Amino acid sequence: MLALDLFVNGLIIGLFYALMAVGLTMIFGILKVVNFAHGEFYMIGAYTYTLVSLALGVPPWLALPAAALAGALLGWATERWLMRPLYAGYGSWGLMKDEYAVVVTFGLSLLLINLVDKVIGPYPMRGPSLSEVTRMSLGPFMISGQKLITAIVAIVLLVGLALFIRRSLWGRQVQAVAQNRLGASIAGIDTARASSIVFMASDVLAALAGALLAPVINPSPDVGIFPAVKSYVIVVIGGMGSIPGSIVASLLLGVLESFGAVYLSYDYRDTFGLVLLILVLLLRPQGLLGERVREV
Amino acid sequence: MKLPSHRNFLRRKLGEEMLLSLVVLAALALVPLFVSSPYWLGVLIVSMYFAMLSVGWNLLAGYAGQFSLAPAAFAMLGGYTTGLLAWHWSVPLAIGLPMSIVVPGLIGLVLGRIVLRLSGPYLALTTLSFAEIARLVVYNSIDFTRGDQGLNVPALVDSRVANYYLFLVALAAATLLVYAMLRAPIGRFLMAIRDDEVGAASRGVNVVRAKTIAFFVSCGICGFAGGLYGTFAQLVSPELGLIAQTGIVIAMVVIGGIGTLVGPLIGAVLVYVASEMLRDVGNVQMIVFALLVIVFARFFREGLWGLARNAFARRAPAASAPPSPAGQA
Amino acid sequence: MSALLEVDSVTKRFGGLRAVDGASLHVDEGELLGLIGPNGSGKTTLLNLLSGHMRADAGHVRLDGREVLGLDPARLTRLGVLRMFQLTRVFARVSAFDNLVVCGLALGLDERRASMRAIELLEELQLAHVMHLDAGQLSGGQKKLLEFGMCFMVPPRLALLDEPFAAVHPVMKETMAAFIRRRNTGGQTFVLVSHDMPVVVELCPRAVCMNAGKVLAEGPTQQVLRDPSVIEAYLGEHAADEVDHA
Repeated sequence: MLALDLFVNGLIIGLFYALMAVGLTMIFGILKVVNFAHGEFYMIGAYTYTLVSLALGVPPWLALPAAALAGALLGWATERWLMRPLYAGYGSWGLMKDEYAVVVTFGLSLLLINLVDKVIGPYPMRGPSLSEVTRMSLGPFMISGQKLITAIVAIVLLVGLALFIRRSLWGRQVQAVAQNRLGASIAGIDTARASSIVFMASDVLAALAGALLAPVINPSPDVGIFPAVKSYVIVVIGGMGSIPGSIVASLLLGVLESFGAVYLSYDYRDTFGLVLLILVLLLRPQGLLGERVREV
Repeated sequence: MKLPSHRNFLRRKLGEEMLLSLVVLAALALVPLFVSSPYWLGVLIVSMYFAMLSVGWNLLAGYAGQFSLAPAAFAMLGGYTTGLLAWHWSVPLAIGLPMSIVVPGLIGLVLGRIVLRLSGPYLALTTLSFAEIARLVVYNSIDFTRGDQGLNVPALVDSRVANYYLFLVALAAATLLVYAMLRAPIGRFLMAIRDDEVGAASRGVNVVRAKTIAFFVSCGICGFAGGLYGTFAQLVSPELGLIAQTGIVIAMVVIGGIGTLVGPLIGAVLVYVASEMLRDVGNVQMIVFALLVIVFARFFREGLWGLARNAFARRAPAASAPPSPAGQA
Repeated sequence: MSALLEVDSVTKRFGGLRAVDGASLHVDEGELLGLIGPNGSGKTTLLNLLSGHMRADAGHVRLDGREVLGLDPARLTRLGVLRMFQLTRVFARVSAFDNLVVCGLALGLDERRASMRAIELLEELQLAHVMHLDAGQLSGGQKKLLEFGMCFMVPPRLALLDEPFAAVHPVMKETMAAFIRRRNTGGQTFVLVSHDMPVVVELCPRAVCMNAGKVLAEGPTQQVLRDPSVIEAYLGEHAADEVDHA
């Protein structure tokens, strides 16, 4: 039945949004800035997956980790060279750190898009699917094999991340730095490494999201802009810095868009989230589960 | 009592920057005497379009500290205001063009009120959402706006050279307007808000009023740029409002020197002309451009203008000495 | 004669904590009142309530007889309540001169008057030699002096000074103290929050001591300092006995 299909479809879309949004919200939690190049990490992941499996003949299952690796490297480099000044104190933007982050990540986004455009070409490529099964029935609804596999992988990744943050030593250090950078550094935690870990994790997730969706979306250099905007919406609605908030908001948005496209307006399906973002920022700026932003 | 004066005092600094801006504008005025290629004149016209956007955005972000991500969207709104008035109701440009200042200005005023209590990433994201919504609405309202087919706009003047001087005059007017604003008390209120909004309010600055005015003027300038561009290209399309276009404006201002009067001018013109020249060299202009933005943001916050000024200051050390009580430094 | 400022049973809660708990005090026109108390006693919170940066949960604050509780900082500033912050706030990317000028403009002075007053203040505060530097480039003490000066572009009805002498060079401290003394002699009303006891004793004829959000003691400064509950608040229980025996 249609509603159930829409619902499940929405949830699956939401899972992918979550892969993107969770990384973004973590970066905000630990660095207090928005990474405007986030969509490009997704794009790099999609391209790595596609190129590695097509050009190198590597089986798709191995191309996934390759994409993850690309994301990790890029994330490490970005944090190390561009983001350090935000808290290390040096760099000429000492007073306007939000603006620095916007400009530098915008620049990075431009750079990545145009590098890929130049080096690889502007035309969409097609990545191989992980599964050739196009339709199978799972209980009361129909789903393609690709979607099912990617949904499962997404769930595994999200659960893995949650466990990492909650249970592992590094994960708890990340939590400490997110809550109070100065305090954490006084307690002996390596805040630079925590930031590095967060950036890498965020980009790995985004890259994998891109890789998983590559067969569906046909990556082109600017394919990351759209999911990025979605991520911003989700991060705000869920609460900047709150991982559970992002996951909940992602699923909500996925379902909302799924139903809205059919029952309200297909053309304007992208505006629902944006309007919601503005409303949330005005009425409840901390989002669903975020912390109150202190004034003065 | 004779007031001491110093290069770093705001009004004097603004005066010097305005003088330099006039020099740049004068240089631009002389270009058609030496360059007759319509292609290059067209390049300069487009760079002046970007320069106007840069001036408008720099007022809001560089001087008032409101890092909006919507300037391109307002240019698009300005272009469509003029275009739609002409297309649907045959409104002449004499009214349509001024409307491209007023309508985006008023919309900007409303946006300013919406984001009044926001700052940093929240402000950026809200303005980004607004810009995307605007673009999507224009894109999807095919019956009204003709969507991505674009909307025809009547031309204001016929020749390329005439368009060139039209844009130059508009750019000069925008720069002078911003200069006048910054010289007036409100200019200093905006800079105080930029440096410390809570502190500014604590010193008695009417923050709501100042921000509202900044949004109105900034968005009005951006809108006007869009309106003029429409009459030049005789076409407006939703692509004017793409976030990527805003990215270009931000990059131009950062490279030129954010928070200065002359930075947006030189940033826009140099970057756009250079990118056109680089286009012949293997189409790498966007990559170079993006690298420059990152490098400047990371290492040279003061931009090209700041670098030039520092180079000059090193050769004239007396300029950095404190003012003497009886006169100037 | 009614007081310039009347604070009447003001309370401010943060969750379960009462930072200010039914505090009452008054400030007469032209006086230099000291506000003392150990850390966490609620002095800065009280100042925040008076300057409009926080909203009290209960009580009244009257300036010249008129209720001002709940007004925002900009309104209060224009009514003449100027305040100095514990963590120095200046406008970092404009010159020290322009910092002062913008305060004058915000309070309605015209360009020329504001510029002249700024120069006078800079000279009085011995900052004239750095007036051209961006405020962000000044030393910590210079920034504090500048922020101090920013309160006086237009003589305020009430100047609230929050730890103006903290971490300040002794020479600058003396400059500020002399300034305060001069202005006070001329009729300027001050509330001075400070941990620096010798300065409080020297400058303030009257003092109010707070602890745990309440007003403990009020009266001539020397008397307040000898009040056993005040000593106990600072030094802990039984300390009062030891001080007596010392």
